[in-house]
Amino acid sequence: MITTKNINKSFGIPAQTVLHNVSISIKDGEFVAISGKSGSGKSTLLYIISTLDNATSGELFIDNTNGQQISSDELHLFRNKKVGFVFQFHYLLPELTALENVLLPARNLNLIAECTPLALSLLEELGVLAQKDKFPSQMSGGEQQRVAIARALILKPKYLFADEPTGNLDTANAEVVMKILMRANQEWKTTIVLVTHDPDFAKLASREIYLVDGKVSTKT
Amino acid sequence: MFFLSWRQLISRKKQTLLILLGISFGTLLYVSITGLQLGMREYIFEQLLSNTAHILISGSEKDILPESITEVLYGDNKNVFWRVAPAGKRDETKIKNVQGWYQFLDKETEVLDYSPRLSTNVLLGSGQFSAPVNLIGTLPEKHARVSHIEKYIKQGSFLNLKSGGNSLVIGSGVAKKLGVHLNQIVNVSSRAGLSRPYKIVGILHFGNEQIDQSIAYAHLKNVQTVTQRPGRVSEIAVALWDVEKSNITANFWKNISTDKVQDWKEANKAFMEVIGVQDFSRYFITWSVLLVAAFGIYNVLTIMINQKKREIAILRAIGYSPARIFQLIFYQGIVLGMVGGLLGLFLGWLMCLWIGSINFGFEIGGSNNLLISYDWQIYFSAFITANISALIASFIPAWEAKNLTPMDIIRSET
Repeated sequence: MITTKNINKSFGIPAQTVLHNVSISIKDGEFVAISGKSGSGKSTLLYIISTLDNATSGELFIDNTNGQQISSDELHLFRNKKVGFVFQFHYLLPELTALENVLLPARNLNLIAECTPLALSLLEELGVLAQKDKFPSQMSGGEQQRVAIARALILKPKYLFADEPTGNLDTANAEVVMKILMRANQEWKTTIVLVTHDPDFAKLASREIYLVDGKVSTKT
Repeated sequence: MFFLSWRQLISRKKQTLLILLGISFGTLLYVSITGLQLGMREYIFEQLLSNTAHILISGSEKDILPESITEVLYGDNKNVFWRVAPAGKRDETKIKNVQGWYQFLDKETEVLDYSPRLSTNVLLGSGQFSAPVNLIGTLPEKHARVSHIEKYIKQGSFLNLKSGGNSLVIGSGVAKKLGVHLNQIVNVSSRAGLSRPYKIVGILHFGNEQIDQSIAYAHLKNVQTVTQRPGRVSEIAVALWDVEKSNITANFWKNISTDKVQDWKEANKAFMEVIGVQDFSRYFITWSVLLVAAFGIYNVLTIMINQKKREIAILRAIGYSPARIFQLIFYQGIVLGMVGGLLGLFLGWLMCLWIGSINFGFEIGGSNNLLISYDWQIYFSAFITANISALIASFIPAWEAKNLTPMDIIRSET
């Protein structure tokens, strides 16, 4: 369960408000798309509800805890165990092979041996098992993004946050990525929050939160 | 986290190699410069110690005061006035209570051994040739124990003096001047006008021309006879178990005796000052080289953090704590310091071997090569220094990386 109450976010001097009194609620197991035009504040909202960023004012409750009051050690552990991130630019570590990249969250918890079988099966499902010992520079953009998704799913997180995961990909690859996200949502009941500006992908979600100028709005 | 640090290091081969070379060059200079200077110093110290002693006790030069003359001539009568007060110096220095010192030194636990000496200037003659030398009378066994003199004997043996019959050990330069060899006879003429034949039982070679041309050793009794001063001792050379204690011990003995007590550093003040300056320049050079190497580490790590910001953000988003990010950077600095340090030790050792093998064509302490110290302490401190500088240099970038927040990075990227 993710709940926000009157979240405001402003940047810079003079303060430029990006989010105005955003109050949303996302149930466990939901697949929600946050959409809107560029500059509508959708990515900002994603980073706030995923605990990576702090709101200027307002409250965030995630996993039955107050997002603002959680200690930093608990926060790291929470992100490690319960949250998966997929960014627009895959952000793989260039020094590590695909498999090692996938196992990065497990490495932080010393669970590499336990998680390797799952990592291999994830790579297989995503169709990049052949690339497991390749470095990111030896893979295509689509392959890299699929590896990044495998990394986000390796610890079977309760929440998966994706910031334009298809933004950099051609249509075929984008569809593969979306399918995987939907499968994770259905099979593991992973709560998925997806930021996208593509209306077609937004429609795949069970619910769409549409932002206009930092306010929740109904789509016309 | 070490796994990741290592991967990042080996993925930047060229950069890593350059930094390693920088650190190892610093360490190399430390090892070779220190080895050279300490080698030279060991040689100088040994020379100084073999000529003086850890502590040298000698008679103090005393001015003659009117009061003491008054006392001798008039007893306790205080109403004596000198029209011209007597003044001057005692004609020679001697230790007042030699037996007292012997007893004292026998009891002192810090004393390894001591050797009484009496030295005088004599003229050695062989046929038409003659050479003025400083003849030192000692007890051979004791002297061999308080100094390394046996090491410098080229022919014969220093302990041959023990027999007490008129025998001499002379410097190689003296032998050359007189054209004499081992077991030949030379005449010893003293200031008192005595002339006696002595047999040469040993030839010394210190490697210092000036000394080798003007030194001779004989048994203490012989020198006492030559100078016609039986029982006289001009100085006592003392060797301690621990050389480093010579200064403290000497200062203590000074307080309990009127004789002159000098430790070897005090006796060779000029040398010690030169060595002090040498130390300073060595520290200055090596520290500045290591400082440059440390700046190299700092630079590379700082640049790397800027290049790796995305990865740091990802790691933080995945749940790696700031402490882990600190380790990621810090370990790289430590590895650079350790590997660079070890490489530098090895290269420095090779450099020392090479310098040590250069033939300079003139004699320095027994051979034509520079003396180089291979003391483990040099290598130890070079390694520690390299590591400390690497540690400090990587601490700052690691701290900066630790304080990066993932959001700032992501925001600046998109």
